[in-house]
Amino acid sequence: MSILHTLLVEPWPWWLGGIAIGLLVPLMYYFLNTALGVSTGYGNLVKLFLPRSKLKWLHTATYANVFNWRFYFIAGMILGGFLSARFSGSALLTSEMGLFTENVRWPFVGYVLWFLSGGILLGFGSRVAGGCTSGHSIHGIANLHPSSILSTIFFLLFGTIGVAFIRMLLMGGVS
Amino acid sequence: MNRNVQYLLFGSIFGFVLSRVGASDYNLIFRMFTGEDLKLAYVIITAIITAGIGMAVLKRLGLKGADGNPITVSKKPLHFRKNILGGAIFGLGWAISGACPGTVLAQVGEGKLLGLVTMFGMVLGTFFYALTTERQEK
Repeated sequence: MSILHTLLVEPWPWWLGGIAIGLLVPLMYYFLNTALGVSTGYGNLVKLFLPRSKLKWLHTATYANVFNWRFYFIAGMILGGFLSARFSGSALLTSEMGLFTENVRWPFVGYVLWFLSGGILLGFGSRVAGGCTSGHSIHGIANLHPSSILSTIFFLLFGTIGVAFIRMLLMGGVS
Repeated sequence: MNRNVQYLLFGSIFGFVLSRVGASDYNLIFRMFTGEDLKLAYVIITAIITAGIGMAVLKRLGLKGADGNPITVSKKPLHFRKNILGGAIFGLGWAISGACPGTVLAQVGEGKLLGLVTMFGMVLGTFFYALTTERQEK
């Protein structure tokens, strides 16, 4: 198979994905003097939805301009996922979510509430912790920040505990 | 190149790679946490090592950007209790949604409707955080 087929259609091996993601950190510093990070950008989206909000937090320097770099970075990430799915030829839209929707027989509204609550925890937790998997776990640990190492330990610890309970209580121990 | 276009490009590469390597795949996240398939753990570890080497190279070259200006490496301050509490809340959210703030964007682009729900939840969770900071300041 051609290299294009390998890169665009087949899933990447772990080492290729890891190297490509890791290179983003020094390259974004080199070209844009910017630290890699995603979750702070969700504040831009809050302000986008609530442009007239008087919340002080939305009027700090970070969010003075909704259409700052974080907005373009987030838009790019959605575009990247879109292109990847188009090249690999998966369905344009799907209401499935892997093992969860296969093994948990709930009405769709139940799925919506479940994933909505997961998202709320992610949004709230990343602001309390000061970052997410990209800003803390990759950028932060690569720069040996103690806060990032500590946060990442708890990301993984509670992710593991959470999945163990979900598997046991909702999926009947499926693997 | 316009800076916003560059950010769009970097974001696109990030989203594309996350999707290609399977980080936006619910099952791979699930199996990383059950220990059945550690592919994504290897991805994260490789990314950390690569980024660390890249930063060391930048430092060796005097921490200067492409435009010749000095690079400022951001530091996230240690807040012992917040890092632990936020980390735990985040971890549970990661387990429930099978996504994190970056991979959920790739899921949205891939057309996963429940990923869009997770993303909307994240906006809501960030809004709730903004509400709590408001109360603390009063």
